[in-house]
Amino acid sequence: MASLTNHLSDLVEDADAVLLFSPTSSFYGRFEDAEEIVVVAPDNDVDADVFVELPLPFDNVKDRIRFGIEGAMDAGLVSEGDEVVCIASVFDGGSDAVIRVTVDQTVHTGIYDLFVNSRAEPSVIRDVFELAIELGQKGQKGKPVGALFVVGDAGKVMNKSRPLSYNPFEKSHVHVGDPIVNVMVKEFSRLDGAFVVSDSGKIVSAYRYLEPGAEGVDIPKGLGARHMAGGAITRDTNATAIVLSESDGLVRAFKAGELVLEIDPEEY
Amino acid sequence: MPVSNAFTELVASVPNRIWLALFVLAFGLFVAAVVGAINRRLLTRAGVPEAIEGTAFERTVREFNTSTVRILAQLSSYFIVAVAIIVALTVADVNYLDQFWSSVASFLPRLFVAVIVMIVGVVVGDKAELLVAERLRGIKLPDLGVLPPLVKYSVVYVAALVALGQVGVQTIALIVLLAAYAFAIVLFAALATKDLVASAAAGVFLLLRQPYGVGDEVKIAGERGIVQEVDLFVTHIEADGEDHVVPNHSVFRNGIVLIRE
Repeated sequence: MASLTNHLSDLVEDADAVLLFSPTSSFYGRFEDAEEIVVVAPDNDVDADVFVELPLPFDNVKDRIRFGIEGAMDAGLVSEGDEVVCIASVFDGGSDAVIRVTVDQTVHTGIYDLFVNSRAEPSVIRDVFELAIELGQKGQKGKPVGALFVVGDAGKVMNKSRPLSYNPFEKSHVHVGDPIVNVMVKEFSRLDGAFVVSDSGKIVSAYRYLEPGAEGVDIPKGLGARHMAGGAITRDTNATAIVLSESDGLVRAFKAGELVLEIDPEEY
Repeated sequence: MPVSNAFTELVASVPNRIWLALFVLAFGLFVAAVVGAINRRLLTRAGVPEAIEGTAFERTVREFNTSTVRILAQLSSYFIVAVAIIVALTVADVNYLDQFWSSVASFLPRLFVAVIVMIVGVVVGDKAELLVAERLRGIKLPDLGVLPPLVKYSVVYVAALVALGQVGVQTIALIVLLAAYAFAIVLFAALATKDLVASAAAGVFLLLRQPYGVGDEVKIAGERGIVQEVDLFVTHIEADGEDHVVPNHSVFRNGIVLIRE
Protein backbone atom coordinates (compact mmCIF):
# COMPACT_ATOMS: atom_id res chain seq x y z
CA MET A 1 0.00 0.00 0.00
CA ALA A 2 3.01 2.30 0.37
CA SER A 3 3.10 3.14 -3.34
CA LEU A 4 -0.57 4.03 -3.27
CA THR A 5 -0.03 6.46 -0.40
CA ASN A 6 2.99 7.87 -2.23
CA HIS A 7 0.95 8.40 -5.33
CA LEU A 8 -1.72 10.19 -3.36
CA SER A 9 0.80 12.48 -1.68
CA ASP A 10 2.36 13.20 -5.10
CA LEU A 11 -1.08 14.10 -6.34
CA VAL A 12 -1.75 16.66 -3.64
CA GLU A 13 1.82 17.95 -3.32
CA ASP A 14 2.24 21.74 -3.29
CA ALA A 15 -1.26 22.45 -4.51
CA ASP A 16 -2.10 26.14 -4.68
CA ALA A 17 -5.71 25.65 -3.70
CA VAL A 18 -8.10 22.94 -2.67
CA LEU A 19 -11.63 22.89 -4.07
CA LEU A 20 -14.15 20.99 -1.98
CA PHE A 21 -17.26 20.11 -3.96
CA SER A 22 -20.39 19.98 -1.78
CA PRO A 23 -18.58 18.77 1.37
CA THR A 24 -20.46 17.62 4.45
CA SER A 25 -19.88 19.85 7.45
CA SER A 26 -17.84 17.21 9.29
CA PHE A 27 -15.67 16.71 6.19
CA TYR A 28 -15.20 20.46 5.87
CA GLY A 29 -14.35 20.68 9.57
CA ARG A 30 -11.24 18.56 8.96
CA PHE A 31 -9.93 21.22 6.56
CA GLU A 32 -10.93 24.23 8.58
CA ASP A 33 -7.45 25.30 9.66
CA ALA A 34 -5.84 24.59 6.27
CA GLU A 35 -5.24 27.46 3.85
CA GLU A 36 -6.68 28.11 0.41
CA ILE A 37 -9.84 26.09 0.83
CA VAL A 38 -12.62 26.88 -1.62
CA VAL A 39 -16.02 25.33 -1.11
CA VAL A 40 -18.04 24.81 -4.30
CA ALA A 41 -21.65 23.88 -3.58
CA PRO A 42 -25.21 24.88 -4.41
CA ASP A 43 -25.57 26.40 -0.93
CA ASN A 44 -23.09 27.53 1.66
CA ASP A 45 -24.29 25.02 4.25
CA VAL A 46 -20.94 24.73 5.99
CA ASP A 47 -20.49 28.51 6.47
CA ALA A 48 -17.25 28.49 4.54
CA ASP A 49 -15.34 31.78 4.24
CA VAL A 50 -14.46 31.17 0.61
CA PHE A 51 -17.42 29.95 -1.35
CA VAL A 52 -18.31 29.53 -5.02
CA GLU A 53 -21.94 28.95 -5.82
CA LEU A 54 -22.82 26.04 -8.09
CA PRO A 55 -26.13 27.03 -9.70
CA LEU A 56 -26.79 23.53 -11.00
CA PRO A 57 -25.68 20.18 -9.67
CA PHE A 58 -23.71 19.05 -12.71
CA ASP A 59 -23.85 15.27 -12.99
CA ASN A 60 -20.77 15.29 -15.13
CA VAL A 61 -17.80 15.67 -12.77
CA LYS A 62 -15.65 17.26 -15.47
CA ASP A 63 -18.21 20.01 -16.00
CA ARG A 64 -18.63 20.44 -12.27
CA ILE A 65 -14.90 20.89 -11.79
CA ARG A 66 -14.61 23.22 -14.79
CA PHE A 67 -17.45 25.25 -13.42
CA GLY A 68 -15.93 25.43 -9.94
CA ILE A 69 -12.52 26.46 -11.29
CA GLU A 70 -14.05 29.10 -13.54
CA GLY A 71 -16.03 30.44 -10.62
CA ALA A 72 -12.89 30.53 -8.49
CA MET A 73 -10.99 32.29 -11.31
CA ASP A 74 -13.83 34.77 -11.63
CA ALA A 75 -13.63 35.55 -7.92
CA GLY A 76 -9.83 35.88 -8.14
CA LEU A 77 -9.23 32.88 -5.88
CA VAL A 78 -7.07 31.01 -8.36
CA SER A 79 -5.19 32.24 -11.41
CA GLU A 80 -3.70 30.75 -14.53
CA GLY A 81 -0.94 28.24 -13.90
CA ASP A 82 -2.14 27.31 -10.40
CA GLU A 83 -2.26 23.68 -9.42
CA VAL A 84 -5.64 22.90 -7.94
CA VAL A 85 -6.71 19.78 -6.08
CA CYS A 86 -10.43 19.03 -6.30
CA ILE A 87 -12.15 16.73 -3.85
CA ALA A 88 -15.52 15.75 -5.22
CA SER A 89 -18.15 13.10 -5.12
CA VAL A 90 -18.28 11.02 -8.32
CA PHE A 91 -20.78 8.43 -7.17
CA ASP A 92 -23.62 9.11 -4.80
CA GLY A 93 -22.46 9.70 -1.28
CA GLY A 94 -19.45 11.32 0.30
CA SER A 95 -16.40 12.93 -1.23
CA ASP A 96 -14.74 10.00 -2.95
CA ALA A 97 -12.41 11.43 -5.58
CA VAL A 98 -9.21 13.48 -5.54
CA ILE A 99 -8.46 15.19 -8.86
CA ARG A 100 -5.54 17.43 -9.69
CA VAL A 101 -6.10 20.10 -12.31
CA THR A 102 -3.82 22.74 -13.73
CA VAL A 103 -5.67 25.99 -14.27
CA ASP A 104 -5.24 27.33 -17.78
CA GLN A 105 -7.26 29.17 -20.34
CA THR A 106 -8.57 25.98 -21.93
CA VAL A 107 -10.52 25.36 -18.76
CA HIS A 108 -12.23 28.66 -19.42
CA THR A 109 -15.13 27.54 -21.58
CA GLY A 110 -17.44 30.40 -20.69
CA ILE A 111 -19.89 28.01 -19.10
CA TYR A 112 -19.66 29.76 -15.73
CA ASP A 113 -20.28 33.15 -17.24
CA LEU A 114 -23.15 31.77 -19.28
CA PHE A 115 -25.00 30.46 -16.28
CA VAL A 116 -24.16 32.97 -13.58
CA ASN A 117 -24.02 36.26 -15.44
CA SER A 118 -27.02 35.76 -17.67
CA ARG A 119 -30.20 37.67 -17.21
CA ALA A 120 -32.37 34.58 -17.10
CA GLU A 121 -32.30 32.20 -14.17
CA PRO A 122 -29.57 29.52 -14.33
CA SER A 123 -32.12 26.71 -14.16
CA VAL A 124 -33.95 28.16 -17.19
CA ILE A 125 -30.71 28.30 -19.19
CA ARG A 126 -30.01 24.71 -18.18
CA ASP A 127 -33.49 23.57 -19.20
CA VAL A 128 -33.21 25.21 -22.60
CA PHE A 129 -29.75 23.72 -23.03
CA GLU A 130 -31.00 20.26 -22.22
CA LEU A 131 -33.86 20.72 -24.65
CA ALA A 132 -31.51 21.81 -27.44
CA ILE A 133 -29.14 18.93 -26.70
CA GLU A 134 -31.98 16.41 -26.71
CA LEU A 135 -33.25 17.83 -29.97
CA GLY A 136 -29.72 17.62 -31.40
CA GLN A 137 -29.33 13.99 -30.36
CA LYS A 138 -32.61 12.70 -31.70
CA GLY A 139 -33.71 15.30 -34.17
CA GLN A 140 -37.34 15.71 -35.04
CA LYS A 141 -38.71 12.31 -36.09
CA GLY A 142 -35.20 11.13 -36.90
CA LYS A 143 -34.32 14.03 -39.18
CA PRO A 144 -31.81 16.62 -38.04
CA VAL A 145 -33.42 19.92 -37.17
CA GLY A 146 -32.19 23.36 -36.29
CA ALA A 147 -33.60 25.49 -33.52
CA LEU A 148 -33.06 28.93 -32.09
CA PHE A 149 -33.95 29.82 -28.52
CA VAL A 150 -33.63 33.37 -27.24
CA VAL A 151 -33.66 33.29 -23.45
CA GLY A 152 -34.20 36.29 -21.21
CA ASP A 153 -35.02 39.96 -21.76
CA ALA A 154 -38.15 38.79 -23.58
CA GLY A 155 -39.78 42.24 -23.72
CA LYS A 156 -36.95 43.73 -25.72
CA VAL A 157 -36.59 40.65 -27.89
CA MET A 158 -40.29 40.81 -28.74
CA ASN A 159 -39.87 44.43 -29.77
CA LYS A 160 -36.95 43.54 -31.99
CA SER A 161 -38.77 40.77 -33.80
CA ARG A 162 -42.00 40.17 -35.66
CA PRO A 163 -44.31 37.17 -35.88
CA LEU A 164 -44.00 34.97 -38.95
CA SER A 165 -47.47 33.59 -38.40
CA TYR A 166 -49.80 33.32 -35.44
CA ASN A 167 -48.04 32.47 -32.18
CA PRO A 168 -48.82 28.91 -31.03
CA PHE A 169 -48.01 29.91 -27.44
CA GLU A 170 -50.46 32.82 -27.43
CA LYS A 171 -52.44 32.93 -24.17
CA SER A 172 -50.66 29.91 -22.82
CA HIS A 173 -48.59 29.94 -19.67
CA VAL A 174 -46.14 27.13 -20.06
CA HIS A 175 -42.54 26.93 -18.95
CA VAL A 176 -39.53 25.14 -20.38
CA GLY A 177 -38.40 22.12 -18.37
CA ASP A 178 -41.88 20.67 -18.14
CA PRO A 179 -41.68 17.34 -20.03
CA ILE A 180 -44.97 17.85 -21.87
CA VAL A 181 -43.94 21.34 -22.90
CA ASN A 182 -40.62 20.00 -24.15
CA VAL A 183 -42.47 17.64 -26.46
CA MET A 184 -44.59 20.56 -27.70
CA VAL A 185 -41.50 22.66 -28.32
CA LYS A 186 -39.91 19.81 -30.26
CA GLU A 187 -42.99 19.59 -32.47
CA PHE A 188 -42.88 23.32 -33.10
CA SER A 189 -39.17 23.18 -33.91
CA ARG A 190 -40.05 22.33 -37.50
CA LEU A 191 -41.47 25.80 -37.83
CA ASP A 192 -38.82 28.23 -38.90
CA GLY A 193 -38.14 31.12 -36.60
CA ALA A 194 -37.07 31.63 -33.02
CA PHE A 195 -38.48 30.60 -29.66
CA VAL A 196 -38.61 33.47 -27.18
CA VAL A 197 -38.28 32.45 -23.54
CA SER A 198 -38.66 34.90 -20.64
CA ASP A 199 -36.35 35.32 -17.63
CA SER A 200 -38.45 32.97 -15.54
CA GLY A 201 -38.65 30.30 -18.25
CA LYS A 202 -42.07 31.04 -19.71
CA ILE A 203 -42.31 30.39 -23.43
CA VAL A 204 -43.51 33.72 -24.73
CA SER A 205 -43.61 32.96 -28.41
CA ALA A 206 -42.52 30.63 -31.16
CA TYR A 207 -42.27 31.42 -34.86
CA ARG A 208 -40.55 34.78 -34.37
CA TYR A 209 -38.51 36.47 -37.04
CA LEU A 210 -35.67 38.32 -35.31
CA GLU A 211 -34.81 41.74 -36.67
CA PRO A 212 -31.66 42.90 -34.88
CA GLY A 213 -29.10 45.15 -36.44
CA ALA A 214 -26.49 42.68 -37.67
CA GLU A 215 -23.56 45.03 -38.16
CA GLY A 216 -20.52 44.37 -36.04
CA VAL A 217 -21.50 40.86 -35.08
CA ASP A 218 -18.50 38.58 -35.23
CA ILE A 219 -19.47 34.96 -35.47
CA PRO A 220 -17.35 32.22 -37.03
CA LYS A 221 -17.57 32.05 -40.77
CA GLY A 222 -19.53 29.22 -42.20
CA LEU A 223 -22.45 29.53 -39.86
CA GLY A 224 -25.79 30.37 -41.39
CA ALA A 225 -28.60 32.83 -40.97
CA ARG A 226 -29.92 31.21 -37.80
CA HIS A 227 -26.64 31.70 -35.96
CA MET A 228 -26.26 35.19 -37.33
CA ALA A 229 -29.71 36.13 -36.08
CA GLY A 230 -29.10 34.52 -32.68
CA GLY A 231 -25.74 36.21 -32.26
CA ALA A 232 -27.03 39.58 -33.37
CA ILE A 233 -30.07 39.62 -31.08
CA THR A 234 -27.82 39.06 -28.05
CA ARG A 235 -25.82 42.12 -29.00
CA ASP A 236 -28.89 44.32 -29.13
CA THR A 237 -30.50 42.92 -25.98
CA ASN A 238 -29.42 41.26 -22.73
CA ALA A 239 -30.69 37.90 -23.90
CA THR A 240 -28.77 34.66 -24.33
CA ALA A 241 -29.23 32.77 -27.60
CA ILE A 242 -28.96 28.99 -27.69
CA VAL A 243 -28.76 27.69 -31.22
CA LEU A 244 -28.91 24.14 -32.52
CA SER A 245 -27.31 23.93 -35.93
CA GLU A 246 -29.13 21.91 -38.54
CA SER A 247 -26.03 21.28 -40.64
CA ASP A 248 -23.39 20.20 -38.10
CA GLY A 249 -25.66 19.35 -35.15
CA LEU A 250 -23.73 21.40 -32.59
CA VAL A 251 -25.35 23.46 -29.85
CA ARG A 252 -23.90 26.93 -29.53
CA ALA A 253 -24.60 29.69 -27.06
CA PHE A 254 -24.22 33.38 -27.81
CA LYS A 255 -24.00 36.27 -25.40
CA ALA A 256 -23.44 39.94 -26.15
CA GLY A 257 -22.97 39.05 -29.81
CA GLU A 258 -20.19 36.55 -29.15
CA LEU A 259 -20.00 32.79 -29.27
CA VAL A 260 -19.37 31.65 -25.68
CA LEU A 261 -19.98 27.94 -25.74
CA GLU A 262 -20.04 25.17 -28.30
CA ILE A 263 -20.94 21.63 -27.39
CA ASP A 264 -21.61 18.46 -29.31
CA PRO A 265 -24.89 16.84 -28.22
CA GLU A 266 -23.51 13.40 -29.04
CA GLU A 267 -20.85 13.77 -26.35
CA TYR A 268 -23.38 14.58 -23.66
CA MET B 1 -55.44 -35.72 57.77
CA PRO B 2 -55.79 -32.63 60.00
CA VAL B 3 -53.94 -30.26 57.68
CA SER B 4 -56.10 -31.15 54.76
CA ASN B 5 -59.18 -30.82 56.89
CA ALA B 6 -58.16 -27.40 58.06
CA PHE B 7 -57.57 -26.38 54.45
CA THR B 8 -61.00 -27.54 53.28
CA GLU B 9 -62.55 -25.77 56.22
CA LEU B 10 -60.72 -22.59 55.31
CA VAL B 11 -61.86 -22.89 51.70
CA ALA B 12 -65.40 -23.58 52.80
CA SER B 13 -65.40 -20.68 55.25
CA VAL B 14 -64.64 -18.19 52.46
CA PRO B 15 -67.86 -17.34 50.65
CA ASN B 16 -68.19 -18.23 46.98
CA ARG B 17 -68.50 -14.71 45.76
CA ILE B 18 -65.10 -13.87 47.22
CA TRP B 19 -63.64 -16.64 45.09
CA LEU B 20 -65.48 -15.28 42.12
CA ALA B 21 -64.13 -11.82 42.89
CA LEU B 22 -60.59 -13.17 43.12
CA PHE B 23 -61.11 -14.98 39.84
CA VAL B 24 -62.37 -11.78 38.20
CA LEU B 25 -59.35 -9.92 39.54
CA ALA B 26 -56.92 -12.54 38.21
CA PHE B 27 -58.67 -12.60 34.87
CA GLY B 28 -58.56 -8.78 34.78
CA LEU B 29 -54.80 -8.79 35.44
CA PHE B 30 -54.28 -11.35 32.70
CA VAL B 31 -56.37 -9.43 30.16
CA ALA B 32 -54.59 -6.21 31.15
CA ALA B 33 -51.19 -7.77 30.48
CA VAL B 34 -52.33 -9.18 27.13
CA VAL B 35 -54.00 -5.94 25.99
CA GLY B 36 -50.94 -3.94 27.06
CA ALA B 37 -48.64 -6.17 25.04
CA ILE B 38 -50.95 -6.15 22.00
CA ASN B 39 -51.30 -2.37 22.17
CA ARG B 40 -47.56 -1.93 22.29
CA ARG B 41 -47.13 -4.18 19.24
CA LEU B 42 -49.93 -2.42 17.36
CA LEU B 43 -48.53 1.04 18.07
CA THR B 44 -45.04 -0.06 17.07
CA ARG B 45 -46.38 -1.73 13.93
CA ALA B 46 -48.30 1.44 13.06
CA GLY B 47 -44.98 3.31 13.03
CA VAL B 48 -45.73 5.46 16.05
CA PRO B 49 -42.14 5.35 17.43
CA GLU B 50 -40.70 6.65 14.13
CA ALA B 51 -43.42 9.27 13.82
CA ILE B 52 -42.78 10.77 17.25
CA GLU B 53 -39.02 10.39 17.12
CA GLY B 54 -37.31 13.48 18.52
CA THR B 55 -40.34 15.17 20.06
CA ALA B 56 -39.83 16.83 23.44
CA PHE B 57 -42.31 14.50 25.14
CA GLU B 58 -40.60 11.40 23.81
CA ARG B 59 -37.19 12.70 24.90
CA THR B 60 -38.43 13.50 28.43
CA VAL B 61 -40.01 10.07 28.70
CA ARG B 62 -36.78 8.48 27.49
CA GLU B 63 -34.99 10.02 30.47
CA PHE B 64 -37.25 7.96 32.74
CA ASN B 65 -36.22 4.84 30.81
CA THR B 66 -39.56 4.33 29.17
CA SER B 67 -41.22 5.41 25.93
CA THR B 68 -44.45 6.98 24.78
CA VAL B 69 -45.61 3.71 23.29
CA ARG B 70 -44.96 1.90 26.54
CA ILE B 71 -46.79 4.55 28.54
CA LEU B 72 -49.82 4.35 26.27
CA ALA B 73 -49.82 0.54 26.46
CA GLN B 74 -49.47 0.64 30.24
CA LEU B 75 -52.30 3.15 30.52
CA SER B 76 -54.65 0.72 28.80
CA SER B 77 -53.46 -2.02 31.16
CA TYR B 78 -54.04 0.15 34.24
CA PHE B 79 -57.48 1.02 32.98
CA ILE B 80 -58.41 -2.63 32.65
CA VAL B 81 -56.94 -3.43 36.07
CA ALA B 82 -58.94 -0.62 37.63
CA VAL B 83 -62.13 -1.84 35.99
CA ALA B 84 -61.35 -5.40 37.15
CA ILE B 85 -60.86 -4.18 40.73
CA ILE B 86 -64.19 -2.38 40.70
CA VAL B 87 -65.97 -5.38 39.20
CA ALA B 88 -64.29 -7.64 41.77
CA LEU B 89 -65.34 -5.36 44.61
CA THR B 90 -68.90 -5.31 43.30
CA VAL B 91 -68.97 -9.08 42.97
CA ALA B 92 -67.50 -9.46 46.46
CA ASP B 93 -70.33 -7.22 47.57
CA VAL B 94 -68.26 -4.89 49.67
CA ASN B 95 -71.24 -2.73 50.49
CA TYR B 96 -69.51 0.03 52.41
CA LEU B 97 -68.64 3.09 50.31
CA ASP B 98 -71.02 1.80 47.66
CA GLN B 99 -71.80 5.29 46.43
CA PHE B 100 -68.12 6.15 46.14
CA TRP B 101 -67.30 3.15 43.99
CA SER B 102 -70.17 3.68 41.61
CA SER B 103 -69.12 7.27 40.97
CA VAL B 104 -65.51 6.18 40.54
CA ALA B 105 -66.61 3.51 38.07
CA SER B 106 -68.38 6.08 35.92
CA PHE B 107 -65.59 8.60 36.23
CA LEU B 108 -62.75 6.22 35.39
CA PRO B 109 -63.36 5.84 31.62
CA ARG B 110 -63.57 9.59 31.21
CA LEU B 111 -60.34 10.10 33.14
CA PHE B 112 -58.74 7.45 30.96
CA VAL B 113 -59.88 9.18 27.75
CA ALA B 114 -58.74 12.54 29.14
CA VAL B 115 -55.25 11.22 29.87
CA ILE B 116 -55.01 9.61 26.42
CA VAL B 117 -56.19 12.84 24.76
CA MET B 118 -53.65 14.84 26.72
CA ILE B 119 -50.75 12.55 25.83
CA VAL B 120 -51.75 12.41 22.15
CA GLY B 121 -52.20 16.21 22.19
CA VAL B 122 -48.75 16.82 23.66
CA VAL B 123 -47.09 14.37 21.26
CA VAL B 124 -48.92 15.75 18.22
CA GLY B 125 -48.08 19.29 19.35
CA ASP B 126 -44.40 18.38 19.68
CA LYS B 127 -44.43 16.72 16.28
CA ALA B 128 -46.18 19.71 14.67
CA GLU B 129 -43.56 22.01 16.18
CA LEU B 130 -40.78 19.84 14.77
CA LEU B 131 -42.38 19.65 11.33
CA VAL B 132 -42.94 23.41 11.12
CA ALA B 133 -39.39 24.10 12.29
CA GLU B 134 -38.00 21.68 9.70
CA ARG B 135 -40.13 23.18 6.96
CA LEU B 136 -38.92 26.68 7.85
CA ARG B 137 -35.34 25.47 7.81
CA GLY B 138 -36.06 23.74 4.49
CA ILE B 139 -37.08 27.00 2.87
CA LYS B 140 -34.16 28.74 4.59
CA LEU B 141 -36.25 30.79 7.01
CA PRO B 142 -35.10 29.52 10.40
CA ASP B 143 -35.37 33.04 11.87
CA LEU B 144 -39.13 32.66 12.23
CA GLY B 145 -38.58 31.04 15.63
CA VAL B 146 -41.92 32.17 17.09
CA LEU B 147 -43.98 30.07 14.76
CA PRO B 148 -43.11 26.48 15.83
CA PRO B 149 -43.86 26.96 19.58
CA LEU B 150 -47.05 28.80 18.63
CA VAL B 151 -48.22 25.80 16.60
CA LYS B 152 -47.25 23.46 19.43
CA TYR B 153 -49.07 25.33 22.16
CA SER B 154 -52.15 25.78 19.98
CA VAL B 155 -52.41 22.00 19.57
CA VAL B 156 -51.70 21.36 23.27
CA TYR B 157 -54.25 23.98 24.28
CA VAL B 158 -56.99 22.36 22.22
CA ALA B 159 -56.02 18.93 23.61
CA ALA B 160 -56.16 20.31 27.16
CA LEU B 161 -59.61 21.74 26.46
CA VAL B 162 -60.88 18.39 25.24
CA ALA B 163 -59.29 16.58 28.19
CA LEU B 164 -60.76 19.00 30.74
CA GLY B 165 -64.14 18.72 29.04
CA GLN B 166 -63.89 14.94 29.43
CA VAL B 167 -63.35 15.09 33.18
CA GLY B 168 -66.17 17.60 33.52
CA VAL B 169 -64.30 20.78 34.35
CA GLN B 170 -66.04 23.99 33.31
CA THR B 171 -64.14 25.12 30.19
CA ILE B 172 -66.33 27.91 28.87
CA ALA B 173 -63.85 30.61 29.84
CA LEU B 174 -61.06 28.72 28.12
CA ILE B 175 -63.18 28.19 25.01
CA VAL B 176 -63.90 31.90 24.86
CA LEU B 177 -60.16 32.49 25.11
CA LEU B 178 -59.57 30.00 22.27
CA ALA B 179 -62.17 31.72 20.12
CA ALA B 180 -60.56 35.09 20.74
CA TYR B 181 -57.16 33.64 19.87
CA ALA B 182 -58.44 31.98 16.68
CA PHE B 183 -60.18 35.18 15.69
CA ALA B 184 -56.97 37.15 16.22
CA ILE B 185 -55.04 34.70 14.04
CA VAL B 186 -57.62 34.86 11.26
CA LEU B 187 -57.72 38.65 11.48
CA PHE B 188 -53.93 38.98 11.35
CA ALA B 189 -53.69 36.48 8.48
CA ALA B 190 -56.36 38.37 6.56
CA LEU B 191 -54.66 41.71 7.20
CA ALA B 192 -51.22 40.41 6.32
CA THR B 193 -52.17 38.57 3.14
CA LYS B 194 -54.77 41.07 1.94
CA ASP B 195 -52.55 42.52 -0.77
CA LEU B 196 -51.21 39.13 -1.79
CA VAL B 197 -54.69 37.69 -2.20
CA ALA B 198 -55.84 40.77 -4.10
CA SER B 199 -52.76 40.53 -6.34
CA ALA B 200 -53.36 36.87 -7.02
CA ALA B 201 -57.00 37.52 -7.91
CA ALA B 202 -55.97 40.29 -10.29
CA GLY B 203 -53.14 38.09 -11.59
CA VAL B 204 -55.56 35.34 -12.56
CA PHE B 205 -57.50 37.85 -14.66
CA LEU B 206 -54.33 39.24 -16.23
CA LEU B 207 -53.07 35.75 -17.11
CA LEU B 208 -56.39 34.59 -18.52
CA ARG B 209 -57.39 37.66 -20.51
CA GLN B 210 -53.93 39.05 -21.23
CA PRO B 211 -54.81 42.72 -21.64
CA TYR B 212 -51.09 43.15 -22.12
CA GLY B 213 -48.39 40.62 -22.90
CA VAL B 214 -44.62 40.36 -22.84
CA GLY B 215 -43.14 42.96 -25.16
CA ASP B 216 -46.02 45.45 -24.99
CA GLU B 217 -45.27 49.00 -23.96
CA VAL B 218 -47.55 50.00 -21.12
CA LYS B 219 -47.99 52.56 -18.37
CA ILE B 220 -49.04 51.00 -15.09
CA ALA B 221 -49.20 52.72 -11.71
CA GLY B 222 -47.19 55.63 -13.08
CA GLU B 223 -44.43 53.44 -14.48
CA ARG B 224 -43.96 53.36 -18.22
CA GLY B 225 -41.98 50.67 -19.94
CA ILE B 226 -41.89 47.34 -21.71
CA VAL B 227 -43.53 44.36 -20.05
CA GLN B 228 -40.90 41.71 -19.33
CA GLU B 229 -42.83 39.21 -17.30
CA VAL B 230 -46.34 38.68 -15.94
CA ASP B 231 -46.91 36.21 -13.15
CA LEU B 232 -49.60 35.57 -10.57
CA PHE B 233 -48.53 38.26 -8.12
CA VAL B 234 -46.45 40.84 -9.95
CA THR B 235 -45.74 42.36 -13.34
CA HIS B 236 -42.19 43.29 -14.33
CA ILE B 237 -41.92 46.45 -16.41
CA GLU B 238 -38.55 47.55 -17.70
CA ALA B 239 -37.61 51.02 -18.81
CA ASP B 240 -34.11 52.42 -19.34
CA GLY B 241 -32.43 49.68 -17.36
CA GLU B 242 -34.86 50.03 -14.47
CA ASP B 243 -36.95 47.01 -13.70
CA HIS B 244 -40.19 47.97 -11.97
CA VAL B 245 -41.93 45.17 -10.14
CA VAL B 246 -45.57 46.22 -9.87
CA PRO B 247 -47.98 44.21 -7.69
CA ASN B 248 -50.95 43.07 -9.77
CA HIS B 249 -53.58 44.56 -7.45
CA SER B 250 -52.23 48.04 -8.13
CA VAL B 251 -52.31 47.25 -11.86
CA PHE B 252 -55.98 46.61 -11.42
CA ARG B 253 -56.71 49.52 -9.14
CA ASN B 254 -54.95 52.12 -11.26
CA GLY B 255 -55.84 50.72 -14.65
CA ILE B 256 -53.60 49.97 -17.58
CA VAL B 257 -52.46 52.30 -20.32
CA LEU B 258 -51.42 50.45 -23.46
CA ILE B 259 -49.14 52.58 -25.53
CA ARG B 260 -49.33 52.25 -29.29
CA GLU B 261 -46.93 54.63 -31.01
